[in-house]
Amino acid sequence: MSTERDSETTFDEDSQPNDEVVPYSDDETEDELDDQGSTVEPEQNRVNREAEENQEPFRKECTWQVKANDRKYHEQPHFMNTKFFCIKKSKYANNAIKTYKYNVLTFIPMNLFEQFKRAANLYFLVLLILQAIPQISTLAWYTTLVPLLLVLGVTAIKDLVDDVARHKMDKEINNRTCEVIKDGRFKVAKWKDIQVGDVIRLKKNDFVPADILLLSSSEPNSLCYVETAELDGETNLKFKMSLEITDQYLQREDTLATFDGFVECEEPNNRLDKFTGTLFWRNTSFPLDADKILLRGCVIRNTDFCHGLVIFAGADTKIMKNSGKTRFKRTKIDYLMNYMVYTIFVVLSLLSAGLAIGHAYWEAQVGNYSWYLYDGKDDTPSYRGFLNFWGYIIVLNTMVPISLYVSVEVIRLGQSHFINWDLQMYYAEKDTPAKARTTTLNEQLGQIHYIFSDKTGTLTQNIMTFKKCCINGQIYGDHRDASQHNHNKIEQVDFSWNTYADRKLAFYDHYLIEQIQSGKEPEVRQFFFLLAVCHTVMVDRTDGQLNYQAASPDEGALVNAARNFGFAFLARTQNTITISELGTERTYNVLAILDFNSDRKRMSIIVRTPEGNIRLYCKGADTVIYERLHRMNPTKQETQDALDIFANETLRTLCLCYKEIEEKEFAQWNKKFMAASVASTNRDEALDKVYEEIEKDLILLGATAIEDKLQDGVPETISKLAKADIKIWVLTGDKKETAENIGFACELLTEDTTICYGEDINSLLHARMENQRNRGGVYAKFAPPVQEPFFPPGGNRALIITGSWLNEILLEKKTKRSKILKLKFPRTEEERRMRTQSKRRLEAKKEQRQKNFVDLACECSAVICCRVTPKQKAMVVDLVKRYKKAITLAIGDGANDVNMIKTAHIGVGISGQEGMQAVMSSDYSFAQFRYLQRLLLVHGRWSYIRMCKFLRYFFYKNFAFTLVHFWYSFFNGYSAQDVSDKLSLRFPGLYIVGQRDLLFNYKRFFVSLLHGVLTSMILFFIPLGAYLQTVGQDGEAPSDYQSFAVTIASALVITVNFQIGLDTSYWTFVNAFSIFGSIALYFGIMFDFHSAGIHVLFPSIFQFTGTASNALRQPYIWLTIILTVAVCLLPVVAIRFLSMTIWPSESDKIQKHRKRLKAEEQWQRRQQVFRRGVSSRRSAYAFSHQRGYADLISSGRSIRKKRSPLDAIVADGTAEYRRTGDS
Amino acid sequence: MEETPQHCLSRLPDNSALKQQELPAHRLYFTARRVLFVFFTTGIFCLCMGIILILSARSTQEIEINYTRICANCAKLRENASNFDKECTCSIPFYLSGKMMGNVYMYYKLYGFYQNLYRYVRSRSNRQLVGKDVKAVEDCAPFKMSDNKTPIVPCGAIANSMFNDTIILSHNINSSVQIKVPMLKSGLTWWTDKYVKFQNPSSKNLADEFRGTTKPPNWPKPIYDLDKKDPRNNGFLNDDFIVWMRAAAFPTFKKLYGRLNRTHHFIEGLPAGNYSFNITYNFPVTRFQGEKSVVLSTLTWCGGNSLFLGLAYTVTGAITWLVSFAMMAIHITLKNKQMSFFHQ
Repeated sequence: MSTERDSETTFDEDSQPNDEVVPYSDDETEDELDDQGSTVEPEQNRVNREAEENQEPFRKECTWQVKANDRKYHEQPHFMNTKFFCIKKSKYANNAIKTYKYNVLTFIPMNLFEQFKRAANLYFLVLLILQAIPQISTLAWYTTLVPLLLVLGVTAIKDLVDDVARHKMDKEINNRTCEVIKDGRFKVAKWKDIQVGDVIRLKKNDFVPADILLLSSSEPNSLCYVETAELDGETNLKFKMSLEITDQYLQREDTLATFDGFVECEEPNNRLDKFTGTLFWRNTSFPLDADKILLRGCVIRNTDFCHGLVIFAGADTKIMKNSGKTRFKRTKIDYLMNYMVYTIFVVLSLLSAGLAIGHAYWEAQVGNYSWYLYDGKDDTPSYRGFLNFWGYIIVLNTMVPISLYVSVEVIRLGQSHFINWDLQMYYAEKDTPAKARTTTLNEQLGQIHYIFSDKTGTLTQNIMTFKKCCINGQIYGDHRDASQHNHNKIEQVDFSWNTYADRKLAFYDHYLIEQIQSGKEPEVRQFFFLLAVCHTVMVDRTDGQLNYQAASPDEGALVNAARNFGFAFLARTQNTITISELGTERTYNVLAILDFNSDRKRMSIIVRTPEGNIRLYCKGADTVIYERLHRMNPTKQETQDALDIFANETLRTLCLCYKEIEEKEFAQWNKKFMAASVASTNRDEALDKVYEEIEKDLILLGATAIEDKLQDGVPETISKLAKADIKIWVLTGDKKETAENIGFACELLTEDTTICYGEDINSLLHARMENQRNRGGVYAKFAPPVQEPFFPPGGNRALIITGSWLNEILLEKKTKRSKILKLKFPRTEEERRMRTQSKRRLEAKKEQRQKNFVDLACECSAVICCRVTPKQKAMVVDLVKRYKKAITLAIGDGANDVNMIKTAHIGVGISGQEGMQAVMSSDYSFAQFRYLQRLLLVHGRWSYIRMCKFLRYFFYKNFAFTLVHFWYSFFNGYSAQDVSDKLSLRFPGLYIVGQRDLLFNYKRFFVSLLHGVLTSMILFFIPLGAYLQTVGQDGEAPSDYQSFAVTIASALVITVNFQIGLDTSYWTFVNAFSIFGSIALYFGIMFDFHSAGIHVLFPSIFQFTGTASNALRQPYIWLTIILTVAVCLLPVVAIRFLSMTIWPSESDKIQKHRKRLKAEEQWQRRQQVFRRGVSSRRSAYAFSHQRGYADLISSGRSIRKKRSPLDAIVADGTAEYRRTGDS
Repeated sequence: MEETPQHCLSRLPDNSALKQQELPAHRLYFTARRVLFVFFTTGIFCLCMGIILILSARSTQEIEINYTRICANCAKLRENASNFDKECTCSIPFYLSGKMMGNVYMYYKLYGFYQNLYRYVRSRSNRQLVGKDVKAVEDCAPFKMSDNKTPIVPCGAIANSMFNDTIILSHNINSSVQIKVPMLKSGLTWWTDKYVKFQNPSSKNLADEFRGTTKPPNWPKPIYDLDKKDPRNNGFLNDDFIVWMRAAAFPTFKKLYGRLNRTHHFIEGLPAGNYSFNITYNFPVTRFQGEKSVVLSTLTWCGGNSLFLGLAYTVTGAITWLVSFAMMAIHITLKNKQMSFFHQ
């Protein structure tokens, strides 16, 4: 099925989005809307992209002007933008980057401002002000100030530490150095001092500090190889080439220093693959394109040094434009907590109002006539009630939990440390432990619904290894010895007989070596010879070691394999290629290289052997090769079977074939070839046609199978996560086939998965839109939502969609608003209205589209988006976030994932690799994808459960505590009363230690409130009953309010601590210690505070002198406490026991049937493996992302003729080799 | 899965039980056996406790005489503040049918007196009462200073409204012979109150020490005249004063007024017979619908004759037993069901 699709999508390119190219980022639409004059009907959405692209440079206004070596030029007034009143700033950003939030001056005001955005903090500030009013103040001022300062202080310190880390990081990057021309000489300068227009020099393996125009390099023709892994995740090298004129004249320092070129180009944007501009120099203009630009974040490879002119710096660079905004992330529970705090505000106000009214009434009835209460003021009862209202707001403040935020932060901090400490998330190989970089999101880890993963470097290691091959119908590559016997355990093949072997290849088939060495089957040798000769790899020799530079890792792996098996590619010139064939060196004349492109899906090379025969060697995707095979191919079927087997093992396959060409035939063909290569129009098409003519009647040699090595444990992790009902979307810049293949390899896709592609989706969505329009037009969202699935229920579906299709489907193409443009300058009111209306309609339509797409995609078990830009990755994440209201996690390793990582609720960076951008912007980082399961399923779950338990308990406790005041109000004339303010200050802090292993669910907020209310009633009314009539055993009446307070407080502390004990699922000594410690500490502190000594020192603060010792001497009071605690706790035990007996929860069951479940799981896994047997699926030809280097090779540009002739290098190398061989 | 690294690497996390969250843990299981055991034992305990408490409460004797209405004319007189200097006494005879054995305590009891009102309960100066600085009146609003700016001692609303009826109990052996029942006015307070919280200024002559201060507006005499006979019961150390200053938790409360001095005739307690309370009525309550009583009571180990706790224990015990039977029944039926389910 997939192969059919391939041909469809490639042949109908005119009408369909191109699956091969990475589309523009969506903001291009915004940019270009203004320029576009033509009106295109929405039906004409599918415009030929090519045409647009060609028009583009002419349409584009070039307003960005850069003058080389002239800093003053860029400071001219007309480049200044007014930023702030009269402060002007150049529109050219400097190269310093700034990610920090505060500096020394702004820290305190800005941080305070941020913090007072929290409702509870603001509330306490208001409370503090209220307490300053003496008529209202019911509690001492410090009871609010101290916790508030504590809360603000702790948070501020945390923010400060975070920001200092950011400062450090910025400094580290800004202080990197490179060489810049200053005063006519190259001088070392820091990155932050680089400015637009500077000429800089970069060395091998340097990071490019800004977007620069390549002027010249040490390589021939000023080629420069760069690795763009940071930008797009592709690790193969790309080459950039400077203009001929700059290559010619700008090699030396003095010429570079006097370079006064003037560049006009487009304004900074986020398109990584596009650049248009013009260089004016020496009265001539030269067009510039993306091939001449090195982007910030790339690494210079294989090029000793290069020179460049800075075009965009700092924030203007493409990578920075792509990185998106840093968002302040908050968890669901944070929002919920805020919501709860608001609820509590309301409850609090209502309670206070009720009590205030009660008080006013009481004053009118009783208070006003009570001479003993006379206070010298003739306030009316209602005024007293009003004052009382505020008094209650203050006294009941413990209901609004200020310590909540601090406690939550502390708990999260602890959980983050547990993540950092986790040995099972430590990757020994790279010495990288897991790291929780933000400490505020932990419990969210337990709520993830969607994971968005990058492919390269995250799911895969980006290492291609030659795994198996099929030669002449025979499969090689299993574990077996030289005499074809299979073994489970066998040593790796020893390549020591081959001096060129790099010894990194792990191969276990000794029989293949036997075959090569014996030479019994000529096809075996032919096979590896083909691999050694048919490619566009560049070779580089350092210290006698061969270094291959391939356009794609696949090709590198194949050439490397051939080298290990004795066919080492040694050197090439423009028209020769030198191979060491089992020790003997032979040089072949290369007559033609028929390069790879994505349509052809194959490449061929025509060589003349030293004997004079002409041969064509070809490798390519099985689908294209099989069409071109000679009818008489005995091993066709066997190879086909082998391909199936390889595909089942998710190996990437290539077919190899060759053919002998008659001299005459070649001469004839060569003529056409020459004609086509100089054709001025449609040269590529002409060439393709010519290639087609010779690539036929091929003889099949066999097939190779390359493994795109997955990270360890990826399939297991994915299946575990799937069991946890987490959906995984793969977002990659890679090609469709590669992505699909990886989908199978990591078991995201299975044999019984139905795969839907872009066009299927498109038609489905169109149908749905039609439906919706019929129902309610574009305002369908106002109609009751229809939730009908897109697919029939049952069955396993996956979605594979490319970036271009994504744009198409989501109406992100530039034609989307063409209608509006027609009315660009509305003349009448009518037109303006129509304009806004149509705009709104389009917005609604787009929204509907997006929503439909997300709904559809979420019906699939797996979604793979390939060929997507960083911005699109972020967009996809955002769509799911927006329309599914689900918690998302993005995981990636490269700079191209930064945007997505920042967008998702939780961003995870793969650390331990070279680039750090992803890690820097992530919330969590670790070294291996598989640690994700532990992070989510273990730490996430625990954090979540603990947090919920904590919150539930916290609210319960707060309510139980605070409402005692409330009940008391009914007995003291509704006047505010302080049971024990010190306890409220002291205890939330104490409990944190004990709240490590509890079990709650946050949805039960109201249940816990109710529980709190009931507990508070018990806590109040039992002592009340007991106290009303009683006297102490010594005759004195213990019913004074201090004894009463001590009784209730003791009962409360014991009850809530025992409640923790009941809720603790696993008792460790820490729990036991903290619970009993809390109780002991309470009594200790109480006796301390009630002691005689402290009263003598501070008589007005510690008024409870002797209460504890006198009250707790009475057996009656102890009996009251015991009864209260028992009545509070027994129902809890009973309810828990009954619910466990009658409705056992999932975890109860799991606890009960632990062993049986384990056995089941194992069985399931085995079955899954077993199922992967029969297959019709074919792993497609996943080759390089771009054309090979054939052009470079045949034009001879890459050959180092300038510095040392190639032959000399080869001769040197071989001479050395021979010498070692002799001795 | 993860092999443990052989050599120590720089960033390797500690392998301690705490950091790896692998502390030895005991899971709290609510098994039927344990829960039922706890419930049955709690039930037994509560029932026993309840019965014991009820029996002990019943063993005490208590007499309460509400004299608000009996002394109505006095009450009427006191409603008008201008009659403060007119004395009004009231005698209440009563008959004690059985003798009260052991220590007998006399209380006065107030109804509807909000000693726990926030602005009332706060209106006192502990610094003054501890005797260090008799002029420390900051916390005492609105009774800080008198009109001529002399600090009030003792200041504050609590002190100002001190209960000032005098109650004398006499035993009428026959119609002509009346013996005053000896009452002790010491040992009515907590030790900490008498010896820590309340202290007179150091000097012997109290009147000197309190010079430059004035009495609370409602008081007939200054603080150093509360008990002229016994210097240890005078000034801030006066037991009645200390008892009053310990604010009650509820609007209905009783405060200890005196203990029976078990000498001579009363060595075993109060014998049965005719008695009378002779009350000097000073404390007005009728304006705010309050009431006053005088209470005589004996005590046991658990205090007075309050039945509440005993009843609460009994009820709790009974309910616990009922619930545990119900739980047992549910457990057994469900267990049988489960068993049969498994057997199928």
